[in-house]
Amino acid sequence: MKKAVILVVEDEALIRLATAALLEDAHYTVLEACDADAALKILNSRSDIRAVFTDIMMPGSLDGLRLAHAIRDRWPPIHLLVASGLDAPTEEEFPGKARFLRKPYAPKHVLKAFDELFGSNPGPYRYIPNVIQNYGKLP
Amino acid sequence: MVSYPNDRSTAPNEAQIIFRQNLIRVWLSLREPPVSQKGAAMAPQPILSHPDVALNLALAVVAHSTAPLLLLNGDLSLVAASTSFCRAFGIDPATIANKPLRELGTGEWDVPQLNSLLEMTATGHADVAGYEIDLCRKDQANRRLVVNAQKLAYGTGEEVRLLVAVLDVTDARIAEKLKDDLLKEKAVLLQELQHRVANSLQIIASVLMQSARKVQSEEARSHLHDAHQRVMSVASLQHQLAASAVGDVELRPYFTALCKSIGASMIRDHNQLSLDVNIDNSIMPADVSVSLGLIVTELVINALKHAFPDSRHGVIKVNYHAHGPNWMLSVSDNGIGMPKAVADAKPGLGTSIVQALTAQLHGIIKVRDANPGTVVSIAHTQIAAVANDA
Repeated sequence: MKKAVILVVEDEALIRLATAALLEDAHYTVLEACDADAALKILNSRSDIRAVFTDIMMPGSLDGLRLAHAIRDRWPPIHLLVASGLDAPTEEEFPGKARFLRKPYAPKHVLKAFDELFGSNPGPYRYIPNVIQNYGKLP
Repeated sequence: MVSYPNDRSTAPNEAQIIFRQNLIRVWLSLREPPVSQKGAAMAPQPILSHPDVALNLALAVVAHSTAPLLLLNGDLSLVAASTSFCRAFGIDPATIANKPLRELGTGEWDVPQLNSLLEMTATGHADVAGYEIDLCRKDQANRRLVVNAQKLAYGTGEEVRLLVAVLDVTDARIAEKLKDDLLKEKAVLLQELQHRVANSLQIIASVLMQSARKVQSEEARSHLHDAHQRVMSVASLQHQLAASAVGDVELRPYFTALCKSIGASMIRDHNQLSLDVNIDNSIMPADVSVSLGLIVTELVINALKHAFPDSRHGVIKVNYHAHGPNWMLSVSDNGIGMPKAVADAKPGLGTSIVQALTAQLHGIIKVRDANPGTVVSIAHTQIAAVANDA
């Protein structure tokens, strides 16, 4: 079965490439963005994204933490995984239900985090009727 | 009667200074005859009953204060000002006699808040303690002043006198701010550095994992996975270092995190194999810690790969204990044990890494059969260190 759509936001091309490859190997559909602005553009253009994996320190108008807050505000059902080489943000700084990964992260940690975020439902949106009911604008 | 600066407009000459020093001696001895202006002895009597001498002394004390001081009367005009005050705030000493404070200089001391505070002080209703004002003068940068004022108590029925100390803290504040800014900048730089190190390690790890994904040979893939694990071991230390301020590393959390990371990426079935970490409270410098961490990484990877073939169950134990400068690190397993023909086996990269790092730490490697399994220990003693250095 084809798995959920994940948007990877990371300014470092090699990290983004490897992370995308890792998630594709795990049968996720992966979209890539090099900063928060590009990520928001993609988020505005499609409604099947189930999770966003973002770095914190990125150039552009928003850093990853602000991006995560913006996503939590506008697309509440989207799962958030946030990574940084620095210490984890405090609970107040962190959007609700988001998960944190310390950089450098191992492939297993990324996959485990998504397993836990998606729980028993790692598929795309159309297989999750309760989400569609709760957020009617989704397909 | 001698008074300063009311009837003297210039700085005191040498004779006057000596005269005032004499006055201070008089003050201290209290009952010694004070010396008159002409040097003639006077009848012995307590100094406090001598208003002239007492006033002179007070004026001398004010005039010579190295901290800027003003002596004001009840209507806030100047009785005396210290030379340091005149110098610090560009006031001509010739112009200060009996001048109201608000007319001093070009009127820059006419600060309503200060005036009302001083009036309150003069009437005994307030004390001015650490009041800050900005002194604004034409064509000059503002100065930040800290003002302290107190009504002097020196006997009943006397005139009101206020002692006002004025401290210019502008430069101190600038220096303080500079220090704060530097500290902030240092914190930002450190964060930036930490971010870069983590990102660089992530890039290396990512490239290695990408390579492992692409290669056809199982052996090559295994080597790339090992290389990836070595990078993650260094990263694990980086996390511990970031948490400490001084570049020292607590070994227990470091080795625990390290083994957790190795276990997470290399142990498929945690019911089959487990990692047991037993470390004392040792704290080691970063360079030693990274070597110890890499040794642990190699020995644990080696045990995971070779000690438990065919899904054999077992435990790998990592121990570290120190006594003073001596320490012992060991990695033991209860697996199948070393092959009999060790000498024939070509040492791999892992063995070379362990040997090189052990030599760097002035340690000695011992490998022994544990029946079942193998114990590899690295011991460092000061005597061994001396022998190695020689």
